[in-house]
Amino acid sequence: MALDAKQKAALFAGAGALRLLLFQAFPSLPNRLAGRVELSTPVSSFKRLQEGLYLYTHNVSPYDGGVYHQAPLLLPLLSLLPSASDHPLATNLLFTVVDLLSAHALGQIADTGRAASTRLFTSSRKSIRWSSAAIVAGYLFSPFTLAACMARSTSALTNLCILTAMAKASQGASTTFLLVLSAASYLSMHPLLLFPPLLALLYDARLDRSKSAPSPLTFTVMHTFGLLVACGALLVASALLTGSWDFLEATYGVRLLLPDLTPNVGLWWYFFIEMFDSFRDFFLGVFWLHVASYTPGLTIRLRTQPLFVAATLTGIFAIFTPYPSVADAALYLSLIPLFRHLFPLMRYTFLASASVLYASFLGPAFYHLWVYAGSGNANFFYAITLVWSLGLSIIVGDSLYAALRDELDVERPELRDKEVKRI
Amino acid sequence: MLSFLSFLLCNALIACAFAGSDYHERLLLRPLPQSTLLASFNFRSNESSVTYEQQNFRLFPRSLGQILQHAHTKELHLRFSVGRWDAENWGQRPWYGAREGSNGVELWAWIEANTEDEAFSRWLTLVNNLSGLFCASLNFIDATKTIRPVISFDPEGDHASTSNLHLLHGTLPHEVVCTENLTPFLKLLPCKGKAGISSLLDGHKLFDAAFQTMALDVRPVCETPGENCIVEMEQTVDMVLDIARSKRPRDNPIPRPLPIEEIECDTSKPYNAPDTCYPLDKRTEPAWNLTEVFGKSLKGACPLTATEGPESETLCINTPPERTIQVNTTGQYTESLSASDTLRCYKLPTGAEFDLVLPEQRMTTGLVRGEPHLYAARSINGHGQERGSVQVVIKNPSTTDPVEFAYLESLPWFMKPYLHTIRVNVPTSTEDPLKETYYRPAVDRVRGTHLELRLVVPPASTLTLTYDFEKAILRYTEYPPDANRGFDAPPAVIRILGPFQSADRKGLYLRTTPLLLSLPTPDFSMPYNVIILTSTVMALGFGNIFNLLVRRLVGADEVPEVAGGLKGIVQGKIQWLMGLFGKHQKSE
Amino acid sequence: MALLATLLALRKDARILKIPPYLSAFLILVGLGWLLVLPLNEYSRATYVSENALLPGQVHTYFTGSEHNIFRAYRHEVAGLVDMPVQQRTEKLSELFRATNLKVATQKYAYTPSGRNISNENVYAVLQGPRADATEAIVLMASLKTMDDEHNYSGVALVLALARYFKRWSLWSKDIIFLVSGDSTSGPQAWVDAYHDAHDPSKVESLAIKSGALQGAVGVEYPAGPWGHRYDKLHVVYDGTNGQLPNLDLFNTAVNIASGQMGIRCTLQRMWNHRDTYQERLQTMLRGMLSQGLGHATGPHSAFIPYHIDAITLVTVGDGWHDEMGLGRTVESLFRSLNNLLEHLHQSFFFYLLLEAKRFVSIGTYLPSAMLIAANFSITAIALWVQSGRWQEPIPNPAATKPVSKPATSESSIEPKKQAEEPTQQEEPPEQKDTEPPTTLVSNDGATAIIPTAALPISERPLFLPAAFVLTAHLFGLIPLAIFNTLPVEELYPSFLLAANITILLPLGAAFFLSQFNRPTPQETTLIHCFSLLFLGMFLSALATLNFSQSLMVGLLTAPLSFVRRGKGGLGSAAQFALLAAVNPVMVVQAAAYAAKVPMLDVLVKAAEGWEIWGLWTQVVMWLVWWPAWFCGSVVVASGLI
Repeated sequence: MALDAKQKAALFAGAGALRLLLFQAFPSLPNRLAGRVELSTPVSSFKRLQEGLYLYTHNVSPYDGGVYHQAPLLLPLLSLLPSASDHPLATNLLFTVVDLLSAHALGQIADTGRAASTRLFTSSRKSIRWSSAAIVAGYLFSPFTLAACMARSTSALTNLCILTAMAKASQGASTTFLLVLSAASYLSMHPLLLFPPLLALLYDARLDRSKSAPSPLTFTVMHTFGLLVACGALLVASALLTGSWDFLEATYGVRLLLPDLTPNVGLWWYFFIEMFDSFRDFFLGVFWLHVASYTPGLTIRLRTQPLFVAATLTGIFAIFTPYPSVADAALYLSLIPLFRHLFPLMRYTFLASASVLYASFLGPAFYHLWVYAGSGNANFFYAITLVWSLGLSIIVGDSLYAALRDELDVERPELRDKEVKRI
Repeated sequence: MLSFLSFLLCNALIACAFAGSDYHERLLLRPLPQSTLLASFNFRSNESSVTYEQQNFRLFPRSLGQILQHAHTKELHLRFSVGRWDAENWGQRPWYGAREGSNGVELWAWIEANTEDEAFSRWLTLVNNLSGLFCASLNFIDATKTIRPVISFDPEGDHASTSNLHLLHGTLPHEVVCTENLTPFLKLLPCKGKAGISSLLDGHKLFDAAFQTMALDVRPVCETPGENCIVEMEQTVDMVLDIARSKRPRDNPIPRPLPIEEIECDTSKPYNAPDTCYPLDKRTEPAWNLTEVFGKSLKGACPLTATEGPESETLCINTPPERTIQVNTTGQYTESLSASDTLRCYKLPTGAEFDLVLPEQRMTTGLVRGEPHLYAARSINGHGQERGSVQVVIKNPSTTDPVEFAYLESLPWFMKPYLHTIRVNVPTSTEDPLKETYYRPAVDRVRGTHLELRLVVPPASTLTLTYDFEKAILRYTEYPPDANRGFDAPPAVIRILGPFQSADRKGLYLRTTPLLLSLPTPDFSMPYNVIILTSTVMALGFGNIFNLLVRRLVGADEVPEVAGGLKGIVQGKIQWLMGLFGKHQKSE
Repeated sequence: MALLATLLALRKDARILKIPPYLSAFLILVGLGWLLVLPLNEYSRATYVSENALLPGQVHTYFTGSEHNIFRAYRHEVAGLVDMPVQQRTEKLSELFRATNLKVATQKYAYTPSGRNISNENVYAVLQGPRADATEAIVLMASLKTMDDEHNYSGVALVLALARYFKRWSLWSKDIIFLVSGDSTSGPQAWVDAYHDAHDPSKVESLAIKSGALQGAVGVEYPAGPWGHRYDKLHVVYDGTNGQLPNLDLFNTAVNIASGQMGIRCTLQRMWNHRDTYQERLQTMLRGMLSQGLGHATGPHSAFIPYHIDAITLVTVGDGWHDEMGLGRTVESLFRSLNNLLEHLHQSFFFYLLLEAKRFVSIGTYLPSAMLIAANFSITAIALWVQSGRWQEPIPNPAATKPVSKPATSESSIEPKKQAEEPTQQEEPPEQKDTEPPTTLVSNDGATAIIPTAALPISERPLFLPAAFVLTAHLFGLIPLAIFNTLPVEELYPSFLLAANITILLPLGAAFFLSQFNRPTPQETTLIHCFSLLFLGMFLSALATLNFSQSLMVGLLTAPLSFVRRGKGGLGSAAQFALLAAVNPVMVVQAAAYAAKVPMLDVLVKAAEGWEIWGLWTQVVMWLVWWPAWFCGSVVVASGLI
């Protein structure tokens, strides 16, 4: 274990150093990346955050405008830092630290080993796993994570909250879990959908720790109440801070109603550019319903492996939310290695990873053709977002299949390594 | 009833008493360098506010008056402009830019209302009515094109109470100003372009001018605050004519190459030969006269103008005294010199044609040309349809005094400026030239950006203002349906606050050129394909996942086996096909 | 899903695995054959103007008569300029422009690519459209030196004369900018960079006067001395930097006006006399592809195209009876057409191959050839993946991803290639059939792929080393890239030779180095090969959308990589290695330079210049895509040798 600790220390040091080195070596790189639509969306762009800060520090309400759509509490916090344009170092440090913390949380999740064995279910392949160091390395050095960190998009903060929430849940620390999850939901709303699976995870963890089982019902009620209180507190604090409730409409309203159609890697923007006005609201409703529908489905079917459900949901978010970015995909892809024991059961790994790779190379090229060279049109980039989403959804579906197959092996060992069919 | 009638009658009498000096018009001609000629027409008609309130219009056009009263508009400023004023060559702007508008149509008014919303609804009434009156698409000035400037405009008129007056301002940069706007404009004049200097206004020449702006200003003026006020309507037309071009006959407008004999060659050149000619530009003032330059002859004075006094001299020309001017008319006229002889004014004969003839002449003294207070140029930096940055370069020619000015930007909502990227830099001085900032950010599809800055540029130095912006991508229904070069961002309005002050309350203004925004465009032919493709991808994800969730996995041998190999494939296919026809199928 | 389901059944069919090499070869051949049929009438189209606002040649042109005398005078003036010092020359030019009442400004620039000093000064004048609002502009330019380094007397004189003539017209709806650039490529580049504020102020002076968005640019090259020279044809040059092309409408308009209205024949790609036969069409196309693939600047217009400003250059060639006025009227008519534009040129094609002045091939027709060649790499990659998955000997610690936990090199005698070819030989008992990793055939980006349904730990692949190796190889390419773009001239050639030698030896060295750690195992070798080909395919298909010809060229030159395999040493491997050594990037470049009779040094100097001034990407592709792919391939082979 000592060696592992050393390894980890080295890892974190290396990753931090790498980030700072990149920041210092290419001073223009962060802003260039921050301008990439793949990395920073209207709800997570660092440039918009700076604008919000500027307005906030000059006593103009940032929410009385169409630029800033991020959480109010970020403003006072980040206004403590020196302005990123003059002294970028502070901001760079902040985002580096955020990344490292997320990696730490990821390591904690890996250490608890709840990915392969939970209270109600233990995979027959649990022996097949990667050391948490490897998983952390996978997160810290994945180019997607790096790019997202360099772009300083605030989805890094959301990712941190989500990962910490998972870690705390798998450790059974109720209060911190509630706080962090509410923070995540406060920052970008959709993490709220992670509550049911993570609650289950928390419950399992609690039971493992103390044999005195609280009744599930009271447990749920208590924690739901706790979550509501935490979120409410955050919202009220923001309202007090900004002096009005306008921010609701400017932050969550924007996420819900999609007034800003800036391109991103997701499926919504082009759809709603081309959508007929009369159907816009209807399809907004349908799309959101679609996103929300996964939580109950997965939680019920895979109630024995809540962590897997949570991970899969992050994948769903990376595909089907209105303003997804590469950062979200990075979160999901870095959670996958936790389920190393499922890899042998996955069938389309090569196809999926190849299409994701292709998309991440062709995407920028086609965007350039559309917006700068003018020799291509919007369909080029749109097609690539389709491929990207398809690739990710194949990974999601495939891992889900693997999980179910794995479950089956435990239920009916005689079927192990046999052909199976779905009926 | 009777009393009412008599009341009206006496009002009419009062009005008649004033009739003499209620209408003024003046045409000021000013030759500019490079054989161009600035002609600024100015028409002013007064109406005592009492009769105005009673809708008893004499000189004031009823159509306009009723609109203004209906919309509770106390002061109105309307501009139609084309082209740009070339300050480097032509010098100071006519009326110090106070009667100039930004490209297209610009409109601002002080509207009486108790609340902002009321003011805005009345504003909408106003623009809609005016658009009918002037055949301009003013009705497109909606909430997204309307701003409420703070420091850039002050009321020109005397208003009893400015508390419930609301200033609203709107521009249509892409509006094409043309003759159909001139006709209603002339209709408002008492002489309707039949007599007086307005008889020179001809659509063809006016809209062939290098720069031209038409202004309509309505304001209340009181001798002493609150008492015997009048409502003054001022109409102004400024045009810069290229003399050579306007002298061309209308039936042969093509600038064919001159025969070689008519070109003065530089014989000092060694290579000078019958077939080789280095053109000398003859430094002489070109010959012209009113009739050929304006394409119409001046039909005497408008009878409504004053008969004696300075007001009666309705045609002035602003040239050095040495410039010879012959007057060509059959009627009575008087000429008077003023302003150290650089200004000659003429009292036009009534009912007889009048013409000024200026022969070609080599001048020793330069032309009369005022130095502008500021030079401004605005352009877009960067390329691509995603983002860019606006760069404004403002030069202060004065070597002695710093110039303080207000800079007003009104940007469409889909052009999103980043205020934190504003950089104002003056290489020659260290103190921050940015004094004040008024900023109202845009809200998507609701209102545009309103940015107002108070800046100071030190003497003999150049101020550079830059800020980044991002272009939003619109819904496909929000793009113009026809072929378009892009979206226009209106020109910036610059008002000089000090040290220079205008004699009257009009203020000193200049305006930059508009900007062209090319937004990223979706493929307009695609709605169905996009809806179908996106839905397919979503269905794939959803179907795949829920298919897994709702089904149960069992061993392959526990269900009817499909033989392997080619046969299996075929069977599988068949089964799958039958499955399509609603038959229950087991896939995989 | 159903497709996958049915195709899953195919996995038992081991014959599948035989196909890939043949399939790749087939694709390459088809890709090449595809190019050969393009010049046929059935596959190419006659050009047409699709932007109906242009109305080419619909206007009378009046640039004649006394203008001719004036033009001659200007030509003498320009002839007097050429040997003046820059400062004086600039003043004289500005004076000439000012005489016609235009706004004049100048711009200094000084670049230092590979230690050389390229500095000069641009002079430009803005004619403000009388009714225009400074939102749009078109550029007419002539450089003082042509691309062939002759003095562009008549070209510059023509610009001056036209400036004087255009000033009289009142119908311009856009500003017109007249640019006289110091030299043929760097000058326009500096100017257009500064116009879009994308310049480095330390090297390039900012512009004093600007106008609106540039809608188009036309360059004129007419190197005829002060006493004039009648020409035969117009050579229309259209390639932009990095192989980007102007909108075909602009080209068509120019050709249409010149040949239709003025009766001047047009030619392209230096095909001086084109009789429109199959061979000549093919030759034109190939030349076009070559210059597109190299991506270098071919004229003053090239700098504009990356900024989405459609631009061409008209060059006079040959001895004939057409005089300067003809060219002048062509330009006049062309500008009248551009002046009509309501919107930025967007209607016609941006991706095309021209066969002759009035015949072209559109992207839909030619793209498949490049895509097929890119696809062949993907296919081989997938095949190799499958093969690596079929690895039979069990790996003690399948979970391992770190080299430390790797097993010692496999003593398995089955070599991947053989296994790939006759997998049917390994007879497996039926119950083992299930344990054999099933494969499934899927389609992806037009490539048909067989990929394993990894079903068992036994098919676990050690991914770490291969991935790391390939990534390192690609990063390693940065070193030569940096070196060749920064070294001073005198050191360029020696270092190039050094690079050549290192390139040959490096694979052997790397293979030997790895072999010290008993690495890579044959399986890893296969994976290295697989990944590098996967990357290559990916890069090339992305590149094909940006610069078709470049992607095609690199694709062909790297084609051998998808056929070499790790051998058991001996002659086979040696031959393979020799083959690869023959097609290594450095060697190929050298050979090409030799074939084109261009001294290698010039190539290097131009490349460095391109990198610093034009933003040329060709060497990036060479060092970060081609070279690493080649390196990985050769290491694979070399590891068999050692």
